[in-house]
Amino acid sequence: MRVLPSLTLNQRLGVLALALGALAVFANVAPGHTIKLNARELLISVDRKEDHVTPAELAAWIIEGRNDYRLVDIRDEKAFADYHIPTAENIPLATVLDGALARTDKIVLYGDGAVHAAQAWMVLKGRGYTRVYTLLEGLDAWKDEVLFPVLPQSPTPEQEAAFERSVQVAKFFGGQPRAATAPGGPPMVMPTQAAAPVVAPPTLPAGAVPGPRKKREGC
Amino acid sequence: MSAPFYKLGAFGDEANLIVAFFIGIGFGFFLERAGFGSAKKLVSQFYLNDLAVFKVMFTAIVTAMLGVTYLSWVGFLDLSLVYLVPTYWIPQVVGGLVLGVGFVVGGYCPGTSVAATATGRLDGLVFVLGFAAGTLGFALAFPLVAGLYTAGDLGTKTLPQVLGIPYGALVFGVVLMAVGGFVGATWLEKKMAPKAAPATATE
Repeated sequence: MRVLPSLTLNQRLGVLALALGALAVFANVAPGHTIKLNARELLISVDRKEDHVTPAELAAWIIEGRNDYRLVDIRDEKAFADYHIPTAENIPLATVLDGALARTDKIVLYGDGAVHAAQAWMVLKGRGYTRVYTLLEGLDAWKDEVLFPVLPQSPTPEQEAAFERSVQVAKFFGGQPRAATAPGGPPMVMPTQAAAPVVAPPTLPAGAVPGPRKKREGC
Repeated sequence: MSAPFYKLGAFGDEANLIVAFFIGIGFGFFLERAGFGSAKKLVSQFYLNDLAVFKVMFTAIVTAMLGVTYLSWVGFLDLSLVYLVPTYWIPQVVGGLVLGVGFVVGGYCPGTSVAATATGRLDGLVFVLGFAAGTLGFALAFPLVAGLYTAGDLGTKTLPQVLGIPYGALVFGVVLMAVGGFVGATWLEKKMAPKAAPATATE
């Protein structure tokens, strides 16, 4: 058995390679940024509409002052500063995995439209976040349905009653109803955002359809 | 995880080209210093009396493999982002045979022919011109060979996946192969050297 000092440089390098190779057997080289999705589970949850909340549902949650979920705005900081849904926190799309969200959180994601939130939704699902939802059709739908609701032409009495409620909701969030007929209509002026985070309003009477009692500043 | 730098956004496109330029210079320099600017040295490989090509290339493979493994292990490199050439086994077998024949006949492989040209060797330059003409010919004839080009598509495959063994075990296996190969190559060189004198091997 030869000892190390008597070896040539090449032989020593060979021994080093062998040692590193033997140690590499224990290497954990699991990729850090990949996700694993169960395609079937994903498609079924989308098909059952378990992947989203509607703007009306979200509006009701905010009015009720529910705090069992986190509303996450995945747009950039500037867009968030210009307008965001009350109670939302800003976690830009590229940073959703950076540790601000926990796997046990119930999370509602939204962007301007539907696509970015759905992409973030899929990434979070793949990372084992089980209770992730998107706001259906994003801020666009939030504007159309919650902030600036439209009374359908020749409405039925039920539609009219529903519209009355949505007008109250719209006013609560600082929007206003639009007339159905005017194509241009009054411009949709986004409510200005209060600098301070919006405080959740008082809870609704149990079982009531969202009907805010009091308008808070800034929301 | 901060590497691969380019894919994780540390380099832009321009910086990437600059880095590639310097890596290329280093690659060319060491190819030349290993003696691979000479067709005689390169083809000695096939007469089994100088296995420097085998040793250098396998050393490079083992060094890079261990480096990548350990960088990944300490969490610096995301291996899943390292680009892997997809396997199209039929064209790759055909291409390997063409390259092998061309290597023995012409005395160079593509990279070493460029290194030889840079050192002023005329045969290297002829090889590079042939290599460019062949590439152009392939491009022009592509419609005829398009079917071959994508035949035998197996997707992106790695040996640990195909063999169903852990990544680290494969790394160790390759190191064993390499070190065994070096020992065997040195033995073979000694055995072959008296029979085939370098002067008569290639000229």
